[in-house]
Amino acid sequence: MKVFPDDLLYSREHVWVRVEGDLATIGITDLAQERLGEVHSIELPEIDSEVERDEPFGAIEAAKGTVELISPLTGNVINVNEDLIDDIGIVNSDPHDTGWMVVVEINDLDELDDLLDSRGYHDFILQEVEGE
Amino acid sequence: MAVWRLVPFHRYPPRENMAIDEAIFREVQRSGGPPTIRLYGWLTPAVSIGHFQHIDREIDLEACRKGGVTVVRRPTGGKAVYHDDDLTYAVIARENTSLFPPTILETYMVISQCLAQGLLDLGLEATLAVEGREPGKGSLDASCFSEPSLHELLVKGRKICGSAQMRSRGVFLQQGSLLMSFDPEKICDVMLPHREPRAMQVQFLQEKVTSLNEHLPRSVTRGDVCKSLIEAFQAGWDVLFAEGSLTPEEEKLKDHLLETKYGDLAKED
Repeated sequence: MKVFPDDLLYSREHVWVRVEGDLATIGITDLAQERLGEVHSIELPEIDSEVERDEPFGAIEAAKGTVELISPLTGNVINVNEDLIDDIGIVNSDPHDTGWMVVVEINDLDELDDLLDSRGYHDFILQEVEGE
Repeated sequence: MAVWRLVPFHRYPPRENMAIDEAIFREVQRSGGPPTIRLYGWLTPAVSIGHFQHIDREIDLEACRKGGVTVVRRPTGGKAVYHDDDLTYAVIARENTSLFPPTILETYMVISQCLAQGLLDLGLEATLAVEGREPGKGSLDASCFSEPSLHELLVKGRKICGSAQMRSRGVFLQQGSLLMSFDPEKICDVMLPHREPRAMQVQFLQEKVTSLNEHLPRSVTRGDVCKSLIEAFQAGWDVLFAEGSLTPEEEKLKDHLLETKYGDLAKED
């Protein structure tokens, strides 16, 4: 059973968000990295670029597959995790913490209302197959 | 029984092939349209490179220009594939369903098992690779066919079909190239690095790669292969295929992608 930290919010695209004021740190969930398998490389937006809710903000390449990263929020990218360039493996080994990807200045805090808490995300995962 | 759309075999220009696959993929995401399988060929020779590949390091663009080989970037990951006499497939469906497990590699396995059955029905025994290449350790660096990946199809230990996948918003696109025939000289012409002696590079590929024409009698046509694969997919997945074409929305998106995304990279260099 995966453990999803209580201090994070989650999107239905398996992206987590840690909110501090109007800043959101964003990464992929432990479940998402498990489904990907070993991550090989990543494309992330540049600092000062805009990301839009429900639109791709980057992509990850794993063994034989590319996965688009779908932004849970609209905002301005103020930081990118450059440690991922040196050691992409931390996306697999520590996805909820040091494997973070970008920090975004949130445009509209109301968008957070559409995200799930850890219990809601857990329930969503269980319903994914049942609701096909 | 679930009904899938089958877009039957047809040859298209290389750029159009990529634009069609992505247009279907995006429309299935947006509208929740039916899962789709498409079989296609290439009107002219082409190299498709993976989403993350570095074109300058991996493809000899000058050789492609001289040889009239179009270079297109795939939406999917993986390594470079030389397309000429191959049968290409695209599967577009929702991920994490009762048919397709949630992980990329498990989805590979589900698709490869049907491909293997389709070949077996033609009299050719193919097996799924039980181990894959390690990241960055391909032997002929750029080429998809230099090493098999986990669950890819082998015939007598030699790779016969290479595949790659893309996922977004709960939908996956898997593209794969099943070799009807195989010319290692052409691959060595266009893919980097050019190793010396060249004869060894050619021999390496001959030992690693095979094609249907090496194993099947000449009487087996491309149409026979398409039919056998279609029957294997339907039986393996317990689904029904209904022949169809692109929707107006997909046609429009395909045209947009052709204009904005899928250029001939050999000409843009």
